[in-house]
Amino acid sequence: MITRRQTMALMGATLASGMVGKGHAETDSLADRVAAGELPAMADRLPKVPRVVNLAAMGREPGRQGGTIRSLIAGQRDVRYMPVNGYARLVGYDMQFNLQPDVLERYDVVTDREFTLYLREGHRWSDGSPFTAEDFRFFWDDIANNPEVYPDGPPVEYLVNGKPPVFEVLDERTVRYTWEDPAPEFLPNLARPAGLRVMVPSAYLKAFHPRYGEPAAIEAAVAENSVDDWIALYQKLSRTNRPENPVLPTLEPWIPRTAPPADQFIFVRNPFFHRVDENGVQLPYIDRHVLGVSSAEIITAKTATGESDLQMVGLDFADYTLLKQAEDIHSIRVNLWKRTQGSRVALAPNLNCSDAGFRAMMRDVRVRRAMSLAVNRDEINLALFYGLAVPSANTLLPDSPLYKPEYAQAYASHDPDEANRLLDEAGFQERNASGVRLLPDGRPANIIVESAGESTLETDVLQLIRDHFREIGLAIFPRSSQRDVFRSRALGGEVVMSVLGGLDNGVATADMSPAQLAPTLDDQLQWPLWGMHFLSGESKGEAPDLPEAQKLLSLFKDWRMSETTEERAAIWASMLEINADQVFTIGTVNGSLQPVVSAGWLKNLPDVALYGYDPCSMLGVYMPDTFWSEKAP
Amino acid sequence: MSLWRYILWRVLAMVPTLVMISALVFLIIELPPGDYFESYVAELRALGEASDLAEIEQLRERYHFDEPLLVRYLYWAGGMLTGDFGYSFEYRLPVSEVVGDRLWLTILVSFVTIIFTWVIAFPIGIYSATHQYSVGDYGLTLVGMIGIAVPNFVLAIVLMYFANIWFGTSIGHLMDQRYLGEPMSWDKFKSIMEHLWIPVIIIGTAGTAGMIRRLRANLLDELQKQYVVTARAKGMKPLPLLTKYPLRMALNFFVSDIGSILPSIISGAEVTAIVLSLETTGPMLIRALQSQDMYLAGSFLMFLALLTVIGMLISDIALAFLDPRIRLGGESTK
Repeated sequence: MITRRQTMALMGATLASGMVGKGHAETDSLADRVAAGELPAMADRLPKVPRVVNLAAMGREPGRQGGTIRSLIAGQRDVRYMPVNGYARLVGYDMQFNLQPDVLERYDVVTDREFTLYLREGHRWSDGSPFTAEDFRFFWDDIANNPEVYPDGPPVEYLVNGKPPVFEVLDERTVRYTWEDPAPEFLPNLARPAGLRVMVPSAYLKAFHPRYGEPAAIEAAVAENSVDDWIALYQKLSRTNRPENPVLPTLEPWIPRTAPPADQFIFVRNPFFHRVDENGVQLPYIDRHVLGVSSAEIITAKTATGESDLQMVGLDFADYTLLKQAEDIHSIRVNLWKRTQGSRVALAPNLNCSDAGFRAMMRDVRVRRAMSLAVNRDEINLALFYGLAVPSANTLLPDSPLYKPEYAQAYASHDPDEANRLLDEAGFQERNASGVRLLPDGRPANIIVESAGESTLETDVLQLIRDHFREIGLAIFPRSSQRDVFRSRALGGEVVMSVLGGLDNGVATADMSPAQLAPTLDDQLQWPLWGMHFLSGESKGEAPDLPEAQKLLSLFKDWRMSETTEERAAIWASMLEINADQVFTIGTVNGSLQPVVSAGWLKNLPDVALYGYDPCSMLGVYMPDTFWSEKAP
Repeated sequence: MSLWRYILWRVLAMVPTLVMISALVFLIIELPPGDYFESYVAELRALGEASDLAEIEQLRERYHFDEPLLVRYLYWAGGMLTGDFGYSFEYRLPVSEVVGDRLWLTILVSFVTIIFTWVIAFPIGIYSATHQYSVGDYGLTLVGMIGIAVPNFVLAIVLMYFANIWFGTSIGHLMDQRYLGEPMSWDKFKSIMEHLWIPVIIIGTAGTAGMIRRLRANLLDELQKQYVVTARAKGMKPLPLLTKYPLRMALNFFVSDIGSILPSIISGAEVTAIVLSLETTGPMLIRALQSQDMYLAGSFLMFLALLTVIGMLISDIALAFLDPRIRLGGESTK
């Protein structure tokens, strides 16, 4: 099943590889190592059929190699943005969120059950070792199905209806996964910002596996890394989501060169990266990425003084004026991207709250609708977003093909009278002397709204909502705590209502998983226990006992079994409709803007784009490997 | 009591003190509900890093998180005695590796700050005491008061801004970003010197004001005593008189301060360090406490406790030399 797009890509690739063969200029920063014989020449480092990125066709300029990009991170842990931004996946999204082969040369799918993956000939890991089917086999046989590592069989992400796939190696460059039931999540999982791992650099990691490695060497490595056994050693050395092991071979455009702890992390170009531009120049263009560790408090200030060449993390819309002013002084460019969250700030009444009185109140759909109707979204938009965001319920953005205006407008108008009527109808007519409604047990409806305390924006929004809620006889008391403490409190049922960001992926397509709309995760603060129940394979938490939540969960399970995109779109629609109707979370505004600052000399960074983790993979889908420096020679 | 017996007794008293402190430290970092793992697991899930979960389970077992409090305490305390300070969950490294360079930079900042404080505070304190109620006294006292009254973080932001506008100094940190993690070089040293004065002034001003006040008050007490009046009446020159007798007496407080200098060298001025994003140990301690990275936090707190106890010992011994009344205090009364 080769699509037209793929065929074109293949044709382009063949042409380009011909040009590469004719001896295109060697990368300057690697020329010495090539001359010294440490590295093969560029034509031999690339796979026989590299992935050709046609920049002109994307409306971008093909560029030159060289240069360094400096960015700031708020803590050591944020090196995890690097593989998210690098976004070299077996299969990845393009800028329109269509799946396309990236590391893979191509893939075949038969009825969503059988997935055949074809590797590129001559593709190598960053250390020069060949990337072959063996890397998949080693992972599947010796790690995922190793009872020492996973006593209960392969991790749940590889299972469909509890059953693992049949894995076959067809030849050195072809592998196949076959499930009994449809596995629509397989390819999207590979394309996730933190992609599902189905292969590892086996040549490097085998040395630490008892079946292949020298026992004495493994023991020495275990001691040196101060871990307990080879499993912990393997996990420590093979981690890719946080690239902390500079020796681990990778397929990403930049490879880490710093082991923590450190105050700055240096990433250098991967000489074996598999993408080239239309002129046959190997990507990435930029030689080095330097991530400086700063405190979150001064990232904006440092960015405004031109100390970061590419910065998004740590900036907020409130910093826009400062940054824009700095544009005149330093050579930086400030763009505004649109955030993909379903709501910038949303309220989540906890349906699993352990306090019976409040739980009954929060479970009453009339109360949730009343709270949503009470929120004056226009005021929030004007006061905090200069009117540049869009008042909306917590749902998808218009950029999603699944968007319908009725979802965004459901209970999203400002109608305190109707809200009061709904609350009266729900049985909360009694009020105390200060006008706060009383619960049936006589306590005033003083609702404590908790937040992780990381964003002042949340506090500002709550200040406004507090006044809105007073009009309908509800009193809210914002309380910020520490994210860690906050989450465990929520799971313990001690939180009545919390404030958080809305749906992560506001630009979903039907083929993306609708898990965020159903109780599937324990950090969904409107129903943490139900989410935990699903997440833990029904061993922890509680089963949902609200019909609408049960319905969402069964729809989500249907989606996982679905075979066609039409079917999936229909399921998405039902799930969105239930969420809109039931107001499980109370959205405020979405489509708010995110400042993205780049150095004046940085080319090819889009001026207008979507900003988000899922599915954009931050910069990932915009291919930072195609950014280049005008200053480079 | 002889001086040596006094010192021996003080050293022995340190042992039960440290045991009690360690128990308290452990109890306090255990107090908040939940542990680092709970929150961390939730975060990993949210980020799709579920493959790391198995590692967390192992860490949890390895560090005996399923055992009762007392057992965990004994493991922790026992580990420290053998030089194993535990594991930083946040950094996923042994605690001893995490601290690294930061210790030296912290000592540098604190040491320079202490010198700065002394150099500024001493002359001003003496001047204020000897010229009580003069214009200079009021003026300098006012400056000192401003140093106390203005919160350090405000001062930090203001200084950072002007240093950037006037001198082009990069915002925050102890050096330009490009020297972070680089080996020491002349350029790096220059960069450190260029940045060092900001935290030194900020942290120093608060301490300076306090020290001026105390020196002034103590000195004033002494200056009014009979022996000073007598010496002055007999025609002794003012400067030798001042430095030979009253100033020495007024220094008692200064010597007892030495005890708290040692821990402040390590922990000094966390808020300033956070605002300025300095590569010192202060921000690391605060982050560790916030994220319940308990071994890292615990090790820091124990280290501070140890330094306090040693500092106190030093200042007690120094005081015993300076003022025999203290050493003999237990036996004879005046």
